[in-house]
Amino acid sequence: MTRYGMLIDTKNCIGCYACRTACQRQNGLDADVDYIRYEERETGTFPHVGYEMVPLQCMHCEDAPCVSVCPTQASYTDENGIVRVDEEKCIGCRYCMAACPYGVRVHNKATGAVEKCKFCTAQSFEGKGETCSCVEACVTGCRIFGDLDDPDGELSRAITEKNALPITGDRTKAKIFYVR
Amino acid sequence: MTYEPIWGSIIAWYLFLAGVGAGAFATSAFLSWRHPEATSMRKIGHIIAPIAVGIGLILLMVDAEAGFTHPWRFVYLLGNFGSVMTWGVVFLSVFMVIAVAAFILDRLKKNVPTWLENVGAILALCVAVYTGALLGVCSTYPLWNNALLPILFLVSALSTGAASVLCVSIVRHADEFNMVGVLKKFHFFLPIIELLLIASLMFITQSNSDAGYQSVMNLISGQWAIWFWLGLIFIGLIGPTLLETWLLFFSSEEFEKSRLAHWISFASDAGVLVGGFLLRYLIVAAAVPLTVVTPLL
Amino acid sequence: MTQDITRRSFVKGGIGAAAATAALGGGFVSFNSWSAAQADEAAREVKKAHSLCNSCSSKCGFTATVVDGNVMTMKGDEEHPYCDGTLCARGYGYAAVAYSPDRLTHPMKRTDSGTFEAISWDDALSEISSKIRDIIDTDGPEALVLIQDPRPSGSYYTKRFMNALGSPNVYTHGVSCNMSKVSGMTQAIGAGDFNSDVENANMIMFLGRSYADGIRPASLHALQAAHENGTKVVIVDPRHNNSCVYADEWIPIKPGTDLALILAMANVLVSEGLYDQDYIANYTVGFEDWASRLPEYTPEWAEEITGIPAETITRLAHEMWEAAPASSIEQGWRAAFGCAHKNSGETARALCLFNTLLGCWGAEGGAVFYPSVSAGKLSDSRFAAPPAPSGKILGSAQYPLAAASMGVATYALEQIPEGLVKGVIFYQSNCVGGYSNPKQLDEWVRQAELSVAIDIQMTETCLACQYILPDTSYLERLEVPEFVGGKVPVVALRDRVLDKIHPETKPVDEIFCELGRACGVGQYFDFTIDELADAQLKTVGLSLEQLKKDGIVAFNEKTYKPTPKTTWKTPSEKVQFVSEACEKAGFTPSPTWVEPLVMPEDGLFRLVGGKQTIHTHTQTANIAPLMAISEKYALERPWINAAVAAELGIEDGDEVEISSDIFSGRTKIKVTERIEPTSIYLPSHYGRMVPDQHISYGIGLSQMDFVPFQIEPGYGGTMSQEVLVKIKKVGA
Repeated sequence: MTRYGMLIDTKNCIGCYACRTACQRQNGLDADVDYIRYEERETGTFPHVGYEMVPLQCMHCEDAPCVSVCPTQASYTDENGIVRVDEEKCIGCRYCMAACPYGVRVHNKATGAVEKCKFCTAQSFEGKGETCSCVEACVTGCRIFGDLDDPDGELSRAITEKNALPITGDRTKAKIFYVR
Repeated sequence: MTYEPIWGSIIAWYLFLAGVGAGAFATSAFLSWRHPEATSMRKIGHIIAPIAVGIGLILLMVDAEAGFTHPWRFVYLLGNFGSVMTWGVVFLSVFMVIAVAAFILDRLKKNVPTWLENVGAILALCVAVYTGALLGVCSTYPLWNNALLPILFLVSALSTGAASVLCVSIVRHADEFNMVGVLKKFHFFLPIIELLLIASLMFITQSNSDAGYQSVMNLISGQWAIWFWLGLIFIGLIGPTLLETWLLFFSSEEFEKSRLAHWISFASDAGVLVGGFLLRYLIVAAAVPLTVVTPLL
Repeated sequence: MTQDITRRSFVKGGIGAAAATAALGGGFVSFNSWSAAQADEAAREVKKAHSLCNSCSSKCGFTATVVDGNVMTMKGDEEHPYCDGTLCARGYGYAAVAYSPDRLTHPMKRTDSGTFEAISWDDALSEISSKIRDIIDTDGPEALVLIQDPRPSGSYYTKRFMNALGSPNVYTHGVSCNMSKVSGMTQAIGAGDFNSDVENANMIMFLGRSYADGIRPASLHALQAAHENGTKVVIVDPRHNNSCVYADEWIPIKPGTDLALILAMANVLVSEGLYDQDYIANYTVGFEDWASRLPEYTPEWAEEITGIPAETITRLAHEMWEAAPASSIEQGWRAAFGCAHKNSGETARALCLFNTLLGCWGAEGGAVFYPSVSAGKLSDSRFAAPPAPSGKILGSAQYPLAAASMGVATYALEQIPEGLVKGVIFYQSNCVGGYSNPKQLDEWVRQAELSVAIDIQMTETCLACQYILPDTSYLERLEVPEFVGGKVPVVALRDRVLDKIHPETKPVDEIFCELGRACGVGQYFDFTIDELADAQLKTVGLSLEQLKKDGIVAFNEKTYKPTPKTTWKTPSEKVQFVSEACEKAGFTPSPTWVEPLVMPEDGLFRLVGGKQTIHTHTQTANIAPLMAISEKYALERPWINAAVAAELGIEDGDEVEISSDIFSGRTKIKVTERIEPTSIYLPSHYGRMVPDQHISYGIGLSQMDFVPFQIEPGYGGTMSQEVLVKIKKVGA
């Protein structure tokens, strides 16, 4: 089984938004529709200051609240662990948006349906054609995509080495791991 | 970054109307139990129930844009029994069938069987509780994610439903309105219970997280404060309670049955309806989500 | 706009929705149709083409995958010395410009009522050329001026066109960018640029420049590697900029005082004999002069001026010396002393001299010079250059230190009301909106007998001109091959990625060829861009055909090898601690303290600018995917120090009024710990005043509105940060 996941090293994130604009291009999104959002944190007082940028997107949770609340099963988890939205089934009720703890689902005004990160990197990971996903676009290489079920894979090793954790611990069994 | 609410006034109207419809049907059932002689009022409840819920459902479909433009997708609505919304669809559908059946039986001047009335009343309670549970399972919103909300919405549904039946009967069947003392006394206590529930909700929510605190502050001192205090608390709850206290316990029976008293009751019940809508709207609009990114220390 | 709609996209979204998304979203194509295209390439038109990004001056190379006329993926070149495999947010977002609904689509002429009306190319060319000939006849070609932001074809054709007419007056945006830095360095080392070998350094100090804000990906990669290698990274900046992610120390400094820091650090080293005595003895001139002037610049003196504690200054100087020769002060670019202050040129000069003390020139981890390759002489007589104009570029007498390759464009415009300049042409330059005070520049341009703007969107500059000629976007045109220096120098091609979108637009090469022919100098424009590109490439053993295929070619045989740098292109062929030219221009022979024009005092703050990661000056403001980020995260807000804000009763998000002597504007403010107390940072991208820019219009404030028209003595920079402002909460 493949269980796709990602690591985001916020210690290397400079807050440049390249992942967002590359994602929009890759996924054909309108300018104000974003699969990736950011939370910025400032710590300390002048002149001893710290700064942290945390990119957030669909965490492809194993206990996905969006999937459990979706009345039409438009939100579902596929065989590779990617949480998807079947646009043909989505009625646009936005219940999933209210249920998502990460606030990373967006309502597409053009289609009326809800959308979010599709883990499109999987396409190039599987060698089915190149993409320009957040992983490939990140200027400082903050992101590692891979198979969590492959213990020798780069992702699994990096998670262990860098002691990466989901942003909310084990709350939803998220599959994006953060180094902070 | 500014937070944009996910749902707006359309959903608040839906939650409100579903509650009014459910409460109106429950009121009818209550009347057939305690005031079987108030047949016209019972029929008023049977009229309000399907209309209110029907309008609410239409609003819901309009708000669900993708479904509105692709109506066949509503077929999938029974797909996930892990979803509160799917249960809501079940409750609403069965309730609608019963409410429409009761309505038709009334039109055909046939008796609505007690079992149908009772099953409908049980489903009405389910619908009312569902409107609260729908929000309640959204764990990101402390203002919603608690066990008080379904109870609050249930009480409000019963209160607004009864108020709607009473309002119409004041206009159309003042004679029966004078007879339904038990209903009125029962109805009298609902805003008081709501006040207690709202106070509890505010106290508990403000203490459980930053987002909870912010949500409560939005209501009691922030951008929604006027609507909250003047609209919901005063016009919707305290006002009706004061007026009804006077009418039910301190005025003479003669005055209570006078036309002036009827219109005072009408104002009080209209206030309950205004408060009922504002309760849904404010709870939807003021909720702030939890921040998942906790600051590093 | 027409485009193919597959059955799949028809079923999914309907034709209207798909087309509208493509148009308004800026030419994005949906992921679903992308997947479909990849699965079934025969059904859709999928092609790849190489281009150079146009979102900033770095012009990173990338390969675009185009699906049905929409750029779907952009992959940065691994070989390109600036992008090193990745692009930045600007790049992906800026590509939306091609399908922007705000594109200029027809030649236009300003009517008497002040509005613009579309005219034909024939009319535009004949009217413009007859005015050009009139000006040449009555005032000579020197009365013509051309200002451009350099791009491969733009640089080639604008110079050729002006020189063919006999005018030397070709200017770049340098005055508002890196003019003072380039010019000051040239006085010391005979070169306007060097590269700090960041990733191999023991220590590196940045003065104002932020690799993580004005992003050139390769530089950022080097900084990241340095951080991982244990290089000590010191960032001196009024702002805690985004590069601080990789910094060991942030040294907040009062803007405009970097020169004092350098002088004091130099004083520490020289007074203690901590400098590369061999290098200075053998490869420099005038050291004694500087050594004799430095003693007054004590760290305590500098503390007063810079706000940096004296012991920190001493410590940093010692640490730089201990790390030498694998240490240097990075060259900077625009931020602190590219054009910002009255002392910018001298700051750049002193910076080079400080690095000379370290003996770091050419050392691994020090300050180095990478090789470059350029096209050889073209044998075909059609490409022969026009005779060099007899005169010097206008302004060179008044600003003798200003780099002639850039020129003092603002001075040239100042000469319009004086009658010295009669005609002005802008190519891809929002000079009026971004170089100096927009109101002033607008007034002057409007007085010109002829004013022409060549651009792709309406700008403040276009609004001030009589004629607007619509260029194609960078994605629609082939340009002159771009030779880029680096560790491994390359040549890269901006090829046609998209077919022409608006039929009445023309690529820059065609515009200047046709203008040239209309002005009677057609003999210099008797070739196509394809022929020129091919001829240039042939001189380095390549061909256009091959470069179209490969996109970028590296000259591996020219790979950089660390070698100590001992000869210099200065008059003395040595590093010059003293400069005769500087002395003639009124400075001391070796750099000494030059007071900024203004200094903050009680209640008055210096207004500083600077790039954000997603924008380039005013050029990207009207790009939907980029401005959407600004709007969502309120990036247009100026920054104020938190303690200062508390004193003024200003809270984060409050509406404030900021006023200089000449301008006052309102905006919401960001209260932050990330800025030193005497500055207010106003991102340089906002406050656009062009109603036809439907995305950017009216968002935020423009830095340049607050700054009076002024020119740095000697060097010619616009002194963009020599302005004080007051700030107060609206309603307080």
